[in-house]
Amino acid sequence: MSDTLTIAGREFRSRLITGTGKYETFEVMRDAVVASGCEMVTVAVRRIDFDARERDADITDFLPEDILLLPNTAGCETAEEAVRVARLARAGGLPDWVKLEVIPDARHLLPDPVETLRAAEILVADGFTVLPYMLPDPVLARRLAEVGCATVMPLAAPIGTGRGLKLRDSIRMVIEEAEVPVVVDAGLGSPSHAAEAMELGADAVLVNTAIARADDPVTMARAFRLAVEAGRSGRLAGLMDEQVTAQPSSPVGGLVTQP
Amino acid sequence: MTPTCTVNGREHELEPGETVQRLLERLGLGARYALVERNGDPVERAAYDRVELAPGDSVVVARPVAGG
Repeated sequence: MSDTLTIAGREFRSRLITGTGKYETFEVMRDAVVASGCEMVTVAVRRIDFDARERDADITDFLPEDILLLPNTAGCETAEEAVRVARLARAGGLPDWVKLEVIPDARHLLPDPVETLRAAEILVADGFTVLPYMLPDPVLARRLAEVGCATVMPLAAPIGTGRGLKLRDSIRMVIEEAEVPVVVDAGLGSPSHAAEAMELGADAVLVNTAIARADDPVTMARAFRLAVEAGRSGRLAGLMDEQVTAQPSSPVGGLVTQP
Repeated sequence: MTPTCTVNGREHELEPGETVQRLLERLGLGARYALVERNGDPVERAAYDRVELAPGDSVVVARPVAGG
């Protein structure tokens, strides 16, 4: 049975998206990306530092040819900055897809909902496929979908914390209400967190730190791939309802020890 | 005096008729994934060999890097 994820008309077999940040080397990143089975990776956009020794290393040389690059707008604090980065990336030949991040708050790295919505509207009108990073808020998710965003990407917990689905109830509400795919992004620290998000009904998850900072990123990438597949299969199979009291799994009658 | 522009905030001496493509070559970025903004406006990749830089231009050269 084929179970593909469709975002803006493009089909993905994998429901795991990975970030390329925080790896020790591009070689490890490449191997982890391959092991994850993901078909889309995020990249940031930065000025070239002409004094840096690593100026000649190009991340795109280390990524599979057929993988979709998703430029992000990390570091942008206003809608204008995010629009500027997205347009620069597209003009230079990167895809017209953008992971929209507008984050004015360095301590918690929480996105600004007003600026995110404003930027989304501008970018959609300009022909971009917009995947916005957001606080899990069903009202905001609806507004983002209404202006034409291709997905919504609610955070599980703050970026890089690995604390899992801290905002679980809000994410559930987003999933229940959303008319576009929901990608749980940020805060997933272990494969079980990813499986839990998929069981909850997320369409995909985006993971970076938990893989890149593992002792063995390649094995962790594989673990996340399996966890996402497991969680998705569990969701499709229909999870049992939780019960308050214990329900025996063996027959209650015919006991060998009965009188 | 040689005309100059700035590239990522640094002064850059312009050759006569220097295009964005030529700038990237001079910076050793000819074959690389370079993203270019000129005076705040993005430059289309297909136009790199046509867009000429002018004295006083402010140019940003960026690229995709590792990020989440």
